[in-house]
Amino acid sequence: MDIDRRNNVTVIGNPQGPAVVLAHGFGCDQNMWRLTVPALVDDYRVVLFDYVGSGRSDLAAFSEDRYASLDGYARDVVEVCEALDLRDATFVGHSVSAMIGVLAAGMAPERIGALVMVAPSPRYIDDDGYRGGFSAEDIDELLASLESNYLGWSAAMAPMIMGNEERFELGEELTNSFCATDPDMARVFARTTFLSDSRDDLKSVRVPTLVLECTQDVIAPREVGAFVHRAIPGSTLVTLDATGHCPHLSAPEATNEAITGFLASLR
Amino acid sequence: MRFTDLLTVGGKLYHETHFAPLLRMQGEINGIALEIKQAGGDRLPVLISSAVKNGSTGEPLLIRTTVFDARDRRAYEEELLRSRKAAEEARKEAEADRARLQDALAVLQQSLLPATLPPVPGVETAAHYHTASPDRLGGDFYDVFPVDGKRFAFFLGDVCGKGPQAAAVTSLTRYTLRAAALHDPDPVSALTTLNKVLQERYTGGDPRYCTAVFGVLEPASATGQVAVRLAAGGHPPALRADGTADFLPTPGGLLVGVLPAPHFATATTTLGAGDTLLLYTDGLTEARTGEDRATLYGDEALRDFVAGHAGKPPQALVQALTGLLADFGDGLDDDTALLALGVPASGPTTKNPL
Amino acid sequence: MSPLRITTRDTATGPVLEITGEFDYTNATELRDLLGTLTLRPGRRLVLDLAGMTFCDSSGITALIAARNHVHAAQADIALAAVPANTLRILRIVGLDQIFPLYPDTDAATRS
Repeated sequence: MDIDRRNNVTVIGNPQGPAVVLAHGFGCDQNMWRLTVPALVDDYRVVLFDYVGSGRSDLAAFSEDRYASLDGYARDVVEVCEALDLRDATFVGHSVSAMIGVLAAGMAPERIGALVMVAPSPRYIDDDGYRGGFSAEDIDELLASLESNYLGWSAAMAPMIMGNEERFELGEELTNSFCATDPDMARVFARTTFLSDSRDDLKSVRVPTLVLECTQDVIAPREVGAFVHRAIPGSTLVTLDATGHCPHLSAPEATNEAITGFLASLR
Repeated sequence: MRFTDLLTVGGKLYHETHFAPLLRMQGEINGIALEIKQAGGDRLPVLISSAVKNGSTGEPLLIRTTVFDARDRRAYEEELLRSRKAAEEARKEAEADRARLQDALAVLQQSLLPATLPPVPGVETAAHYHTASPDRLGGDFYDVFPVDGKRFAFFLGDVCGKGPQAAAVTSLTRYTLRAAALHDPDPVSALTTLNKVLQERYTGGDPRYCTAVFGVLEPASATGQVAVRLAAGGHPPALRADGTADFLPTPGGLLVGVLPAPHFATATTTLGAGDTLLLYTDGLTEARTGEDRATLYGDEALRDFVAGHAGKPPQALVQALTGLLADFGDGLDDDTALLALGVPASGPTTKNPL
Repeated sequence: MSPLRITTRDTATGPVLEITGEFDYTNATELRDLLGTLTLRPGRRLVLDLAGMTFCDSSGITALIAARNHVHAAQADIALAAVPANTLRILRIVGLDQIFPLYPDTDAATRS
């Protein structure tokens, strides 16, 4: 299996530097890190990739079974690390990828030596004594949103949707192309992400961990950030003065500063 | 109040995971379908486009957002989506139907042929069936089965015509011959019974016939030789391979099912150690070997081919013929059945036929 | 491929059908359809002139048998004239050379 191709792996930066793996969350692809990469390339060997079903990954490698649990995505991460023979890499995961990183570090402790969790949430749906911020119905609504937007993109191409012509390729003319993934695969990723519960996995983290949260994040509210911080022994929590779920895009300087500071502390 | 506060919860999730990152990365985003919560609790489908306005040094100043009422369009899209789902369902159903039909065809096809040939003491048997089309039930048939304590019957033939009607005749033919042989294993008697059954069943404007060769094997345990008696109706002659190969003529045997009282041709032979009897249907000899429809493989070429493999056990001969069939490629457009019956050569080769 | 053509003419002994071209499963029913339109009186003879028939498969053979049944049902008779060598070989294998009167040409078939 060609892991490089399957996960569209990109390696840039300083080949002699410690490895930093940047993992995108549900929604987009490795392009999300475009404002983070410049801060790292001088000192670190930076590894970017797309999960199968996202970005320019090999869609043929998609398996509904494998990706019905976060373990499947975590196995992909481990395989990427193995293919590049990474040791003691720092895994920077956004959103659901933060939890995927926790699972991957458990599977291959020699590969992953530190974690940066950007806007993590171990469980999105409320539970007894736990507030994730969402209900199961909300997740159904998200799936409907996904659906209507894949349709929305292509509404002008109704004949093709109806199967009269070949299924259209996602091309450059589509402005929203960074998130252009196969809708069926996106649905699996969405369900796996938002129905996951990885709270118990947090306790098992044994590597230095930085938790980054935003002051105003609809998806991962502050109480979730606090929960993650409490659950991971010895972790550091940094609250970024940022709005939204993507501080690496909305507040890149502060995010980069927190990440590079943490990386420097590891050396 | 923030813009996302207007959205449904699912819409918020979509906004955070898709809309906002894209807007940041691209500077603008167009035509995203979301729903806005209305004061009364209803939802208003909208299409949203946003653009970031940057200051003179490129720093983002504000986001301009346009919201279109998309009720009609959403209704249209939902209709499209429903149609697509319906079409998808219909396609899946059609595929499932097709798979069920294929399964049914496969079961029926299997009922026309023996799954395995029974062991015949002192005789090695081998058979092959080439299907011209997986969708089309075959019209060729063969079988080998015991008729009493010491004798075995065998038959092979070809029903005229193609498709399910032919397959129905094939089925009738196979089970008629098996039943007839248990009653009276005499080859002419078995073919005569089949002839009567076909005549009776297919009276009137839709006559059905088949070619058939029917035989009885009687191994003599003392000598190791096997006596063969056979009768043929409308069927190409069997080939007998010893050191060389020759046809075992059955001239003048009429197609089974054509006339009320037909003549069937008989032949007898004895197979000794290393001898093989080959039965085949005309798919083999009528395979096209040239551009022309009339340039066919033919009897002589088949005899030469079998002579070239004389002395080989039935399994090896059938294997070689299977290769020959494959070599015909598109030239082979009919079903073809092969049945070889042989007495193993004496000596060490018996234990290791290949 | 030469398409099938069947032409009909009447002689003193009965109708003569000339079959030319390739006679196979794609067109074998044409003969049966045509026979349905012919009226054969008892004692007459139907001659199938095969001189121009370039190919005949098992469906063609089946159609010949159906023609024979049709003709016999009308208490008439059937004969084959000028059977090409390839088809004659097949007729021999399936034993039909014994149940169809065979003649070298239509003249001979309509004379006897």
